[in-house]
Amino acid sequence: MRFKLTAIPTTALGTTALAATTLASAIGVASMAQNRPQEVNVYSGRHYNTDKQLYSEFTRRTGIKVNLLEGKDDELIQRLKSEGSKSKADLLVLVDAARLYRAQEANLFRSISSPELKKDVPANLRDPGGRWFALTRRARPMMVNTAAVNPKSIRTYADLAKPEFKGKLCLRNRASVYSQSLVADELVRRGAAATQKWVRGVVANRKEPFFTSDTTMVRAVGQGQCGATIANQYYLARLLSSDNTADRATAKKVRVVWPNPTHVNVTAGGVTRSSRNPEEARRLLEFLASPTSGEGYAAANNEYPLKGWGNNPTLKAFGTFKASPVSMEQLGRRNREAVQLMTQAGWE
Amino acid sequence: MTPSTIQGAPAQGPGRSSSRSWLLLVVILASGLALLPLLTLLKDVLINRGESRLELGFDGLRQVRGTLLLVAGEGLLGAVVGTAIGWLTAVCRFPGRRWLRIAQLVPMAFPAYLLAASLIDWGSHRGLRIHGLGWAIVLLTLANYSYVFLLSTESFSVSGRRLLEASRSLGVGPWRSFFRVALPIALPSIGAGIALSAMEVVNDLGAVRLLGVPSLSAGILDRWQVDGDPQGAALLSLVALGIVAVLIASERQLRQRSRRWNLEGGTGSAHVWHLAGWRAALAQLFCVLPPLIAVAIPALWIQQGWQGLQSESFAELGQLASRSLGLALIATGVTCLGSLLLAICRRWSPQPLVQQLSFIAGLGYAIPGSVLALGLIVLGGPLGFSPVLLLLWGYGDRFIAVSKQGLDAALERIPPSIDETATSLGCDWLAVLRRIHLPLLRGPLLVGSLLVFVDVVKELPITLALRPFDFDTLAVRVFQYASDERVGAAMAPAVMIMAFGLLAAFALVPTLEQRD
Repeated sequence: MRFKLTAIPTTALGTTALAATTLASAIGVASMAQNRPQEVNVYSGRHYNTDKQLYSEFTRRTGIKVNLLEGKDDELIQRLKSEGSKSKADLLVLVDAARLYRAQEANLFRSISSPELKKDVPANLRDPGGRWFALTRRARPMMVNTAAVNPKSIRTYADLAKPEFKGKLCLRNRASVYSQSLVADELVRRGAAATQKWVRGVVANRKEPFFTSDTTMVRAVGQGQCGATIANQYYLARLLSSDNTADRATAKKVRVVWPNPTHVNVTAGGVTRSSRNPEEARRLLEFLASPTSGEGYAAANNEYPLKGWGNNPTLKAFGTFKASPVSMEQLGRRNREAVQLMTQAGWE
Repeated sequence: MTPSTIQGAPAQGPGRSSSRSWLLLVVILASGLALLPLLTLLKDVLINRGESRLELGFDGLRQVRGTLLLVAGEGLLGAVVGTAIGWLTAVCRFPGRRWLRIAQLVPMAFPAYLLAASLIDWGSHRGLRIHGLGWAIVLLTLANYSYVFLLSTESFSVSGRRLLEASRSLGVGPWRSFFRVALPIALPSIGAGIALSAMEVVNDLGAVRLLGVPSLSAGILDRWQVDGDPQGAALLSLVALGIVAVLIASERQLRQRSRRWNLEGGTGSAHVWHLAGWRAALAQLFCVLPPLIAVAIPALWIQQGWQGLQSESFAELGQLASRSLGLALIATGVTCLGSLLLAICRRWSPQPLVQQLSFIAGLGYAIPGSVLALGLIVLGGPLGFSPVLLLLWGYGDRFIAVSKQGLDAALERIPPSIDETATSLGCDWLAVLRRIHLPLLRGPLLVGSLLVFVDVVKELPITLALRPFDFDTLAVRVFQYASDERVGAAMAPAVMIMAFGLLAAFALVPTLEQRD
């Protein structure tokens, strides 16, 4: 095969020129990127050190820096509201459907479309309008001390209102959003009249003054001061895996009873309306919702991943449950009504 | 301000009026800065939002009642404990007195929310339910009685020595001397102490929430943030503001009624009462119990939870601590300078306007921290103020009353005749400040700045709401862990807060010793 010798320098020249242009454009891109360093500002209602490891992993993979501001959910919502369009926040991560709904009503989220999020997040765990997407799930089962209460005697939350449990029940206070969402769940599934009757029943069966924390409530069940309670599964899981031997011993006396169906709530995130880095925020959201990192996000707090039951041995020992079909959006919508109903029934 | 006034040349002629109008400017500026966040908020709430529901409602009434009961209970208990210990350690003599006097500073190091969280957790391990109003009163008293102690003991040691001596030489016993002579003289200081501690109670959020006591501070936040009812929140804030205004006004009234000019330091150890036998033992017991309990609660909690201690890296802890420390130091400087200027202005300008403005400037203490913070966000957000600046503004606004109360009380003990003499000799206010007031105010100024320092280190709602990205402090971290019910993780930063508090408290020791 013959070829013209002169062609070689020409080709070389052309290649060099091409390379130069590529390089130049690469430098151009780099300098543009330097002008606006890739970052995403997160307002988060969660406070786990393992979250930070996940954010670092995200930065390692994508080069996008994550700036974090953790606070109480309601305070973050208020801060975002007050900051308005000047807010630096790109992603808002909140715990509980009621708060998500509140933020949504205050128009703090923007709607995004992401096939990945649609694939990873089940429909009832995300906003139909694409404004927020769940990242982890938590359940609120009943917990009993088997010495005081036969676990077989209760199958649903409704059973706890029966007169046979008088003076045996411990309840979380009304100010807790967990109680509110539980009642909202009942409202959606069973209607106002039945729920009102149920709330009056459980309030009448209460033994101790309303508790301000789930941990002390679960302990009280283990110690036998209370026969039964309703608490988030991770509080018991935490006590069971505690370094404190006394806590482990108390927790072992507590049995989880899964009502059918069980109230489920979420941690969720959404891109803010004021975001200046919506692309980066969406990518972080996709990363956190993806099955692999989602497990890590859930594991930090003994929570369940979005699908299935995860690999946490403590949670596996609790068994599986049938999750309430009520959507997060419905829970949020009925929150106010639930609180009113509780107030009227003397749920302090 | 002319150069000669800085040199304080006594020969300098009048020119006073101009420098005093400069003082008036300071007062207007300070009270403006103090009121601006609140006014912005009121405007935002009342004008910018449409729907209105100005009623207290079922929860509102319970919250008002809860706060009033807390204030009354804590005020009474704190007054008795603080005044009694103040008196015992100032004018009685018994073994261990000096150490016990110092020990009274210890409880100041422990924020009420920490005491409540640790006691609840400790009790819950033993099946003991710590809950409700009674416990709240006890814990809030424990965390706050030191205010009454500090101000009353200072007054017992300094004031009325000659009167006490006279009453004693007339054969009046220690009890009657206390009730008839020392107590009336010390009333302004005791009143100031009670007012300070009561305002802490009105503002407390963490402890009352944990103990399940309905309160205005929690009600304001919930109405605002959870119910989305800013008008309702503003209404509750006004009630809280009203309670504190009554507290401040009654304290001022008290002070005016029992105004005594009293400068004679008195050297005498002549008028002390020596206690022996069961009397001494009782005095010791009374003085040792509050600080002992305050230390025991977190100590038992730490001992119990030691196994579960999950510490962050030392680097992270160091960073948290340095932010807390830095913020507290700067805020203390700013706040104390401001309060000194205000106190001096009040003294020099008898116009009612100045008096009222200076009163208003101290009202920031009455506004719940979280409400103040929201006011600052609404105010500073659109102007693009840096969050740290807003944070310092918030601290200053909130705590200027802490150092000002003590300064005002101390200034009232300096006879105005001294100022008049100095002025007639040609000194202007600055020279009087430098040569007379400052040397006499060194004690209260130090006490005030340490109180502010400890308060800022412990402060939660403002810091939580205003801090910038990636800027957590010790208190913020403790709160986040505690609100997640993760006690083990909260322990390390909590211990550091208490350590800072203790360091600051012990820096007060020389002042206490000096009064002996």
